[in-house]
Amino acid sequence: MSRRLPTNFILGAILVALVVGTAALSLVWTPHDPTLLNIPGKFDEPSSIYWLGTDQLGRDVVSQLMAGARNSMAVALIAVLIGGSIGVSLGLLASAIGGWVEDAVMRLADLGFAFPALLFAIMLAAVLGPSLSNAVLAIAFINIPIFARVARASANQIWTRDFVSAARAAGMSRLAISRDHILPNILAAVIVQATIEFAVAILAEAALSYLGLGAQPPASSWGRLLSEAQTLLYLAPQLVLYPGLCIVTAVLGFGLLGDGLRDITDPRLVRER
Amino acid sequence: MAYFILRRTFGFVLTLLAVSVVVFAVMNVLPGDPALTILGLDATDDALSALREQLGLNEPLLSRYIHWVWDALHGEFGLSHSFRVPVSGLITERLPMTISLAVSGMLVTLIVALTLGISASARHRTFGDWGVMFLSQLGIAIPAFWLSILLVLLFAVKLRWLPPGGFPGWSDPVPAMRSLILPTVALALVQSAVLTRVTRSSALEVMRQEFVRTARASGLSQRRILWRHVLPNALVPIVTIVGMQFAALVTGTIVIENVFYLPGLGRLIFQSISNRDLPTVQALVMLFAAIVVTANFVVDLLYVVIDPRLKARA
Amino acid sequence: MIELANLTASFDGAAALRDATLSVAPGDRLGVVGESGSGKTLFALCLMGMAPDAANLSGSIHVDGQDMSVASESDWQAIRARRVAMVFQEPMAALNPLRRVGVTVAEPLMVHEGISRQAALARALALFKEVGINEPEARLRQFPHQLSGGQRQRVLIALALACNPALLIADEPTTALDASVALRITDLLVRLAKERQMALIFISHDLATVARATNEIMVMYGGDIVERGPTTDVLETPIHPYTKGLLAALPKWLIAQRDAEGKRSRLATIPGSVPPLPELPQGCRFAGRCQNELANCATERPALQQKSVGRSAACHLLDRDAS
Repeated sequence: MSRRLPTNFILGAILVALVVGTAALSLVWTPHDPTLLNIPGKFDEPSSIYWLGTDQLGRDVVSQLMAGARNSMAVALIAVLIGGSIGVSLGLLASAIGGWVEDAVMRLADLGFAFPALLFAIMLAAVLGPSLSNAVLAIAFINIPIFARVARASANQIWTRDFVSAARAAGMSRLAISRDHILPNILAAVIVQATIEFAVAILAEAALSYLGLGAQPPASSWGRLLSEAQTLLYLAPQLVLYPGLCIVTAVLGFGLLGDGLRDITDPRLVRER
Repeated sequence: MAYFILRRTFGFVLTLLAVSVVVFAVMNVLPGDPALTILGLDATDDALSALREQLGLNEPLLSRYIHWVWDALHGEFGLSHSFRVPVSGLITERLPMTISLAVSGMLVTLIVALTLGISASARHRTFGDWGVMFLSQLGIAIPAFWLSILLVLLFAVKLRWLPPGGFPGWSDPVPAMRSLILPTVALALVQSAVLTRVTRSSALEVMRQEFVRTARASGLSQRRILWRHVLPNALVPIVTIVGMQFAALVTGTIVIENVFYLPGLGRLIFQSISNRDLPTVQALVMLFAAIVVTANFVVDLLYVVIDPRLKARA
Repeated sequence: MIELANLTASFDGAAALRDATLSVAPGDRLGVVGESGSGKTLFALCLMGMAPDAANLSGSIHVDGQDMSVASESDWQAIRARRVAMVFQEPMAALNPLRRVGVTVAEPLMVHEGISRQAALARALALFKEVGINEPEARLRQFPHQLSGGQRQRVLIALALACNPALLIADEPTTALDASVALRITDLLVRLAKERQMALIFISHDLATVARATNEIMVMYGGDIVERGPTTDVLETPIHPYTKGLLAALPKWLIAQRDAEGKRSRLATIPGSVPPLPELPQGCRFAGRCQNELANCATERPALQQKSVGRSAACHLLDRDAS
């Protein structure tokens, strides 16, 4: 493998920077207020004022997209962080203790695989009402088994290494070893997985918001923008394009980045790309 | 062999039970007062307590759970709050739609993914291969509902070849089929992206193996080797992925039904959420989760059937 | 029936096989000896039209008079198994694990000769008996993982023989097998060659096995054919310094003898190691390791010359001795 960074990493990094940068920017500046109504100016063509035109209530499309970026990033970040932390902890625990505890913990984590995020979100929405935080919870929930698996598999390999045996011989507790030795060494695999799950989370949040189970008005979300645009398909078909393109860019970006990271951190893996 | 099946079945039942516990817990421990939801805020306290008694809400959680499971095993899912009919009736009514969509979606997915994946692997490192890889990477990133909307935009709004949604009923087969074309395509395209990649890498992995060289030395044609030797061996890891795809299939079906306003179980779930119809939601979530668990179980068993080496070990 | 003239295979400009010239007639049993990297497997693959795609080929190959140098893949497919067949060295993974071995052997018969599955399986049964597989009827229906290494190799030999090829190439057929099994497989191949009037090319790095199986031997080093002649003659009186080195390196006694001073004799070795492909000397490939090296060895390539009837070697020493 040449010293050059793999193409997918570079491409992914560019796309991610674009999306994250836009989201960060939206915290301080958007061309217009995304919630500002301007009924007379509805369905405007793209112009120098409204770069991509306006929607059915005269709101600036670009500003809405930027606000949507902010929400998508936030949801994905929080969900992956929560799910990832719990999952990695479970995985480390299972790996450290081993035996039937390991089997039991993994079985428990596997329950998460039976529940697609959507089903869990549906349940939460039905009992607690639809909201963005419920979407976060649902996505976090399904991330737990994924991270538990990755963490456990990587941790199991590290436990066999000599320096860990040395630490055990020196009397270090399994907790301390997990924290000081195992965790830093599985970080690479976890980060790769987190990047990929980020992409999945963005997709999931978009789907949930589209279905009305995620972002509620006036909170902006690409998914919600799409569902609104769908009702206007005959009037303003172009409104359907932009949010979708944003979603694709973000998901593609994080996916490529994750793949690229995996290629970089796992050189022994001869993968056919 | 029998011992293996027994163990797996035991695990399957256990998982199913665990799933039911989770569903019951979330649906019944968290919410407020279902009686209040049904009768509204103006209801009198007497009416509320009477309804609670009727719904069996005063019984301890455990016995409610056992009743629910017991009834469910007999096909009894209680009464829908909003429709005032047995939930099981609603399910049987909408099931054919969902199954048609899911099955045709899965079939098209398999055909597309296997064909593209194997062909791409045969044209390794040519434009065809890179093209397929790029398209599949894109396919993974495209949300199914957005693709659906784009398809509707093209085929229904602009070209007016196909209906933009809805379902005219089963009585007339041709319009019924036409309503299912776009939904099936949308569902299949997104699903096949992942499967195509897996098929391709699995096939490439198999091509590296010795017996492929032996087959070539026997003077067999590339096509024969590809489809009769490589594909069956590549299927083994693919089957696992297909099992995992069932979760995505369930999600996809629910989403697509809502995008296209198809009268299936997916739409029913959402109507029930809007109506705060908890028993229906509970039954449907359990049903879908059970499908996913069952699919994984079947895949586990299928694995052993396909590969004679595993059969020996099992 | 196979004729090679100046066959050369290069990778990125570096020749891994140089000017291989030979002809094989039915009934010949030729041994090809050399270490890893000598080009012997590449040579065998060229005879099947299965050289790697990256290989740049020049020179000519004629099979039964047909010029295969510019043949397409489908031309080769018509030749493979029917005129030329090959047995590879790794019986472990060389059979499709999802197929019963009987079907695997029957397949080329169904494809090449168009006979029915039943007829093909009957032929496969006969082949199983011919190669000495025990309980052949039962074995037909078994999967590869149910057979031992030796049995799998026999199946592969049966597969190679299915369409009655005129030439069978065996590439290290016994390397992965244990000694007693290896012996039996070697004898099997010789018997089959004789009974079927088939040409046999036996490739191996194991001189003892080659000695047993062949009547002519060809020594390869670095992609060149360095010596050729009747097996017994070459092994008893080698000409080329490399061949001499190989034979000297054979352990002659089971227990190390002590010489007059009580010191144990050491195993003779050829100093140095085979350089990687781009670094091989352009002249004689063995230059740099040869004890009798002359000034022009590294730069001038010695041609394969006849020293006496049926014996040739590629070495500048021959020129010097002749003059």
